Amino acid sequence: MAAVKETVETVAALEKYEHGFTTDIEQEFAPKGLSEDIVRFISAKKDEPQWMLDWRLEAYRRWLELEEPTWAKVNFPKIDYQDSYYYAAPSTKEGPKSLDEVDPEILAVYAKLGIPLKEQEVLAGVEGAPRYAVDAVFDSVSVVTTFKKELAAVGVIFCSMSEAVREHPELVRQYLGSVVPTSDNYFACLNSAVFSDGSFVYIPPGVRCPMELSTYFRINAKDSGQFERTLIIADKGAYVSYLEGCTAPMRDENQLHAAVVELVLLDDAEIKYSTVQNWYPGDPETGKGGIYNFVTKRADCRGDRSKVSWTQVETGSAITWKYPSCVLRGEGSSGEFYSIAVTNGHQQADTGTKMIHLGANTRSRIVAKGISAGKSTSTYRGLVSAHPKAKGARNFTQCDSLLIGKDCAAHTVPYIEARNGQSVFEHEATTTRLSDDQLFYCQQRGLNQEEAVALLVNGFVKDVLQQLPMEFAVEAQKLVAISLEGSVG
Amino acid sequence: MTLSTALKTGDLSALPSRRDEDWRWTDLRGLLKTLPPVAPAHDGEVPAGPFAGLADAETVFVNGRRVAASDAASGVVALRFVALADKASQGASHALVVKPGESLVLLESHEGRAGAYVSDVVLDIAVGEGASLERIVLVDDEAEAVNVVTADVILAPGAKFAQTVLTSGARRQRIETRVRHPGAHAQVRLDGAYLLDAQRHADLTSVVTHSGLDGVTSQLTKGMVTDQARGVFQGRIVVEKGADQTDARMGHHALILSDKAEIDAKPELLIFADDVSCAHGNTIGALDDEVLFYAKQRGIPEADAKAMLTVAFVGEVIERIEHEGAREVAAAWVARKLGSEA
Repeated sequence: MAAVKETVETVAALEKYEHGFTTDIEQEFAPKGLSEDIVRFISAKKDEPQWMLDWRLEAYRRWLELEEPTWAKVNFPKIDYQDSYYYAAPSTKEGPKSLDEVDPEILAVYAKLGIPLKEQEVLAGVEGAPRYAVDAVFDSVSVVTTFKKELAAVGVIFCSMSEAVREHPELVRQYLGSVVPTSDNYFACLNSAVFSDGSFVYIPPGVRCPMELSTYFRINAKDSGQFERTLIIADKGAYVSYLEGCTAPMRDENQLHAAVVELVLLDDAEIKYSTVQNWYPGDPETGKGGIYNFVTKRADCRGDRSKVSWTQVETGSAITWKYPSCVLRGEGSSGEFYSIAVTNGHQQADTGTKMIHLGANTRSRIVAKGISAGKSTSTYRGLVSAHPKAKGARNFTQCDSLLIGKDCAAHTVPYIEARNGQSVFEHEATTTRLSDDQLFYCQQRGLNQEEAVALLVNGFVKDVLQQLPMEFAVEAQKLVAISLEGSVG
Repeated sequence: MTLSTALKTGDLSALPSRRDEDWRWTDLRGLLKTLPPVAPAHDGEVPAGPFAGLADAETVFVNGRRVAASDAASGVVALRFVALADKASQGASHALVVKPGESLVLLESHEGRAGAYVSDVVLDIAVGEGASLERIVLVDDEAEAVNVVTADVILAPGAKFAQTVLTSGARRQRIETRVRHPGAHAQVRLDGAYLLDAQRHADLTSVVTHSGLDGVTSQLTKGMVTDQARGVFQGRIVVEKGADQTDARMGHHALILSDKAEIDAKPELLIFADDVSCAHGNTIGALDDEVLFYAKQRGIPEADAKAMLTVAFVGEVIERIEHEGAREVAAAWVARKLGSEA
């Protein structure tokens, strides 16, 4: 019950979007707009080799030929791709060699967000407290990555993508774009052309990563988009748990976040990927501003018996449009997707997953919980497919939607494609509102309405919260409560 | 984007293709590279239909032309669409009104007896206040046929509409039902069963739109595919703003009995009201190995055991048919299709 009490207190104490502050930092921008020259500019800024530039230019040319998709259940004015900055970075002459050289203003931002960037600070915590390494991405660049030495000692590579392109070109060339090809979709293609930074992780064979890895994304600059690229490779028998968090300032303009995340799993590897997404959702009254979160995330279980698990808590963004997917290629590989999508105000979310069973005896499990309040719309859209060769494939899907208020909407659009006679697919979905009886019961016991809602919602999303690493679970629980603040009565 | 338009205008680009989201699993444009000529009128005898002897009156279309008409709007009425011309196209449309307070059982049959025809049937059905309609649709197409049957059903408050579609598929076949559900204690039951073998395809699509308070929808579809057949189920339940206290349930359960057969399903819920109770369930799998083993152990040959289990599986849909005579015809049809006639 302690967690519930904490949630209730948080609801009472916190303002609506606590990460909405802006920071004045001297920044460097690429000229506004998008062209081949901008792509060359970004590549040059990052001191990239020719092959990387060629890859970007190829993606850019393909992007010009693609049409922006419109099939999702989301509405937004047409994006002017020329009216945005594709590169924004805190100005520094040289890359910081150590944390002491990082702009104190930036450090202050992360301190305010509660992200430990100083290893000694992390260590200074209570004995036995969980430690995790952080890659902090500020607009278009990674400002610092912690615990690199300790990780390197066991062979784990954890660095920014730009650094990986320079230091580990053989790995990047082998795997970049191998899960999400450049022309996979409109936004992934745009990302391939202009991606700025992101995290790169390589876990060598048989290594269990000694600590949680995490990346913290922060959009700060005005009129800029964030296009990060994350690549995680778990070699044979490796294990890693990776967390990502995101926030942005409150602004009246919409900003585009089009990231690509690629996960590669070889034999017996396991990746646990958790996201707590809390981009600025826009003004709850007018719907003005907020982030467009159009992200492509895909895991390729190439190896036999490999396992990937996506857990996401989506509370932010004006529009969320993403489907973290699993390509289950290896025999006996398995994929899991646990999701909570909370929409309030004028938010729109069209999210879900794809489980593509290609190998024999592959298994997948989907648990998606959608909560809509205010004037928001939340859609679960998912695909489960089994190839003729995926004998013995199994899927279980559960999608539940909860509606709070008269003006919100919740949709469930699952696609199931079964192409062989030895697979089993189960899917169930429900849509209901909070039960009056349960609310009445809680209120009778002395909880006020908001507390009662928080309690019932916590129960509703419990299955997913349990999948999150401990520290994230607490944060996520608070977020869900905060996001729903003011949605009743 | 309909077959009707394409047949009327001869414009193949009017055919729905897999690029149309609602037709992604039933591609007509990719299949029909030419449209066959319009079927000629038929002068001879018309063989008896599957519901012969059960109806008080009948309306019959042969090769897309009406040859017998009944204006009865209560009791038991047969509605037959018979295709007797090979390599020909036929389009038919029919309107049906059930007056307030009346009660009608519609025994609809699509009887293909000619090979590679292209058929399109459009029905407009209105069920008046407090009236009830039970529609039983038996679709027996030829393996080479293309057939699209679309019904638009508009219900008045308090109306009752029940439907059961039984089909064995065709080369490409779609049975689509769209229901405007006003709520106000109107009730809808929307059932279906498909039994597909060889290279047959059947698509059961439905859209039920709840627009008012207190509506009930119950939907159950069961299917079996074997060989290289392909079954498609698309069910969409829409609950519009203000359609509170809607109770909608949808179930689709199917068996795949061979390694090359396929089932595609999309059970959708689009909900714009909060005080509702909606659910759908979808399961796809093979027959239970243990049950099959038990049957074999008892000396029942595997083929018979499979047929028996499939009959029982589909039986749930058949049992929900209210009209006794039609229920018997349906049960016999299922047994015949599965080769398990007693």
